[in-house]
Amino acid sequence: MPSARPAFFRRPRPGRNMPMTLRRYLPHYLMIAPFMVLFAAFFLYPILSGLYYSFHDWNGVKTPEFVGLDNYQTILASRDFSRAMTNLLWYIAITVPLGILVALGLALLVDSFTGRWANFFRNAYFLPVVLPAFLAATIWRWIYAPNFGLLNMILGWFGVPSINFMNDTDTMLYALIVVDVWVSAGFNMVILLAGLKNIPGELYEAARLDGASKWQQIIHITIPMLGPVLFFVFTYGFISAMQVFDKPWLLTGSSFTSYGGRRNALLFPVMDMMGRGFGGVKFGEAAAYGFLLTIAIIAVTALMFTMRAWRERK
Amino acid sequence: MKRINRIRAGIAGAAALLGSAGAAAAQDVTLEYWVYSDFAQGEALALQQEFIKEFTDAHPGVKINITGKGDDDLTAGQVAGAASGNLPDVFMNAQSVGAQLVEVRALANIYDKWMAMPQEFRDQFDKDALASCMPRPGELYCIPYTGFGSLLFRNLTVLEQAGIDPSTPPATWDEWFAQMQKVKDAGLYAIPDETLVFNSIAEIYATSGSSETWGFNWDDRTTRIDPAIMTKVLQKFVDMAPLTSGTSRNDQATKDLFISNQLAFHTVGPWVNPTYDEAAKTSGLKYDFVLIPGDEPGKTGGIRSYEIVGVAPGPNMDIAFEFATYITEKQQMVRWAKLLSRYNANAAAMADPEVSQLPLIKVSVDAAHGAMEVAAPYFIDSVPSCYNSTVIDYAAATADGEFTPEEGAQELIAELNSCLAQ
Repeated sequence: MPSARPAFFRRPRPGRNMPMTLRRYLPHYLMIAPFMVLFAAFFLYPILSGLYYSFHDWNGVKTPEFVGLDNYQTILASRDFSRAMTNLLWYIAITVPLGILVALGLALLVDSFTGRWANFFRNAYFLPVVLPAFLAATIWRWIYAPNFGLLNMILGWFGVPSINFMNDTDTMLYALIVVDVWVSAGFNMVILLAGLKNIPGELYEAARLDGASKWQQIIHITIPMLGPVLFFVFTYGFISAMQVFDKPWLLTGSSFTSYGGRRNALLFPVMDMMGRGFGGVKFGEAAAYGFLLTIAIIAVTALMFTMRAWRERK
Repeated sequence: MKRINRIRAGIAGAAALLGSAGAAAAQDVTLEYWVYSDFAQGEALALQQEFIKEFTDAHPGVKINITGKGDDDLTAGQVAGAASGNLPDVFMNAQSVGAQLVEVRALANIYDKWMAMPQEFRDQFDKDALASCMPRPGELYCIPYTGFGSLLFRNLTVLEQAGIDPSTPPATWDEWFAQMQKVKDAGLYAIPDETLVFNSIAEIYATSGSSETWGFNWDDRTTRIDPAIMTKVLQKFVDMAPLTSGTSRNDQATKDLFISNQLAFHTVGPWVNPTYDEAAKTSGLKYDFVLIPGDEPGKTGGIRSYEIVGVAPGPNMDIAFEFATYITEKQQMVRWAKLLSRYNANAAAMADPEVSQLPLIKVSVDAAHGAMEVAAPYFIDSVPSCYNSTVIDYAAATADGEFTPEEGAQELIAELNSCLAQ
C-alpha cells in the first residue's frame, strides 16, 4: 500500500552518513531556510555591521578606524542628545497614554453604533492613518498657521491673540502631540474595537441586571477584558513613539542641514541620528546612536513584559 | 538639422580632446542620471529627455536612465551609493552639500578633464560660479548648472491698497521698510517671518553684509559673520517682527497669502514664479519681481547659490563627464532657460539675446551678481547641523525680544564658533 505522505516528508531511515536528528528535521530546516536567509541578510547582518561601525570612525567610504567607545561618549555628552531625549520623554509621557485614551473613547463610541453609522465612523476615524505623512503635515501647518490659520481663527472669535504654534517653543511639542494622536488614534481604535467585539455580551447583561452603570461597566468589565489588547496597543505605541521621526521632521520643515525646529524644540533621537549620518557624514556616530536607542527600546519593552508577567502571576 | 549638426560637431571636438571618452562611448554603457524631482516632470523632463536622446544618438551604445529625487533623497542616495559602491554616474545636487559628497568620494575631481575641454567651452561659464566649484588649485568637483539669486516678489494690489506707488521699486532698505510699515497700517501683512529659515535670514543679512562677512573660515573653523553687521541685521528683524505674517518664506500658507492679496512682499528664489504666474492668469494676481534693496542705493540683498552637475568616480566617468559637458553647454542651457525662464551658470547662454530679454532672467542675472554666497566656501568641509539651527534660533530669539541685537550678535557668533569647533 502506498504511503499517504509524500516522499519528501517520509521519515528518513537511519544508517546513512548524516546524523539522524539532522536528517529527520532537514525538510523543516529547508522550509524555514528562505526566511532565515532573508532575515540574516536584511536584519541580522545590518545589525551586526551597525554594531561594528558604532565602535569606528567611519564616513561610509573610508576604511573604518577603531575608536572604542568614543562615538558613544560623544553622543552621550552632546547637547543635542540631551535635548532629543528630554523631548522624547515628554512626548512619550503624554502621547502614548493620551493616544490610547482617545482611541479607547473612539472605539467605545463606534462600538455603540451599528450598521452603516458604525462603518462610517470607523472609516472616518481611520482615514488619518492612511493619509500620507507629508499631506497630514501640510494640513496641520495650515491649521496651526499664525494669524489666519484655522485654529487661530477659531481662537480669535474668543478674543485669544494669535499663537505661533509651530514656532513658539512653549507650544511646539503639544502641537506635535495633537497631530500624532490624530494620526494614531484610528489605528489603535480599530485594534481596540476588535477587542471590544470579543467581550461576551453576557458580562454586560449580568452587570446591568446587578444595576451597574455604564461607567462601572467600562471600569469593571471593558478595561479588564481588554487587558491584553491594551497591553499590545500600549507597547506598540511606546515603540513607535520612541522612533518618532516623520511628523516632527515635516512639521518643522527639516532637512539634513537644519532640523528640529526652533531651539530644537522638536528634535528627537531618530532625527538627530539621521542628521549625524547623512548631514554630517558620521555613520559611526549614527550607528552608535541607533544602538543606544535600540537598547533603550529593548530595556523598557522588557520591563513592560516583566511587569505584565508579574501581575499575571499575582 | 543645422542645430543637430552643430551639436554633433561640438561633441566630436570634445571627443577628440578626450580620447578615452571616445573609447568609452564605443562600448555598451548605461549611465544613471539623477536630477531634482522638478526636473523630472512635465516640460522639464521632456527637455531633459531630448538632451538625452541627442547625446545617445551621437554615442551609439550609450543608454541614459534619468531619475528624479527630492533634495534630501538626492544627498542620502549619493552618500549611501558611495558607501555601497553603487553611485549614479551623473547627478545634480546643491553646492552646499558638495563637501559631504567629496568626503564620501561621490564626486570625482574633474579638473584635468575640464582643462582638456576647448577654451571656448570653458569660457562660457560664469567665473564666480565656476570658482565656487574649485576649493583648491587643481581641484574641480562640479560644473555649475542652474542657480538663483533671490528676488523680491511684490504684490501690486496690496501695495496700491496701502497707498504705495508700485511703479518705483524701493531703492534702499529704509524705503523698503517704510513701505512695509504702510502695508501693516493698511491692515495687511508686509512680509513672511524672515527669522524662520536660514536662507531668509541670509537674504536680510545680505542687505547689509556681503560674501566676505558670511560663511566660514575653514582654516581656524570660525564663522565669518561680522558682529557689527549682525547687530544691524538683528535690529532689522526686531523692527520687522510686528509686520510679518508669522509664516516662513517656504510655507504654502505664505504663497496662498500672497496670491490672495494679503501679503505684500515675498523674498524667495525664482521657483515660485510659475505658481504666481498661474495665479495671475487664473485669479488676476498682480505682481512683479525686483531686486532686494540693500542699505545703500545700488547695493542689493539676497543670496545666490547654484545647483551643480557632478560626475561620480568609476568606470563610466569619461562618458559621464562628456554627458555633463553636453547638458551644460550653451545651446542646451539656452533651451533650458527659454523653457523655464530660469537663470543658470552658463553666462554665454544668459547673454544670448533670446534669453537675456526674458524678464525673470534679466532680473535674476542682476540678482545673482549682487547677491551673497549662501554658504561659501564650498567643497571644503561639511557644515555641522548646529550651524544653521543656531543662526535661526538667535535671529528668532532676538526678534522675540529675548536678547538685544548686540547681545544676540555676540552670543550667536560665540555659539557658531563653538559649533564649528566641534
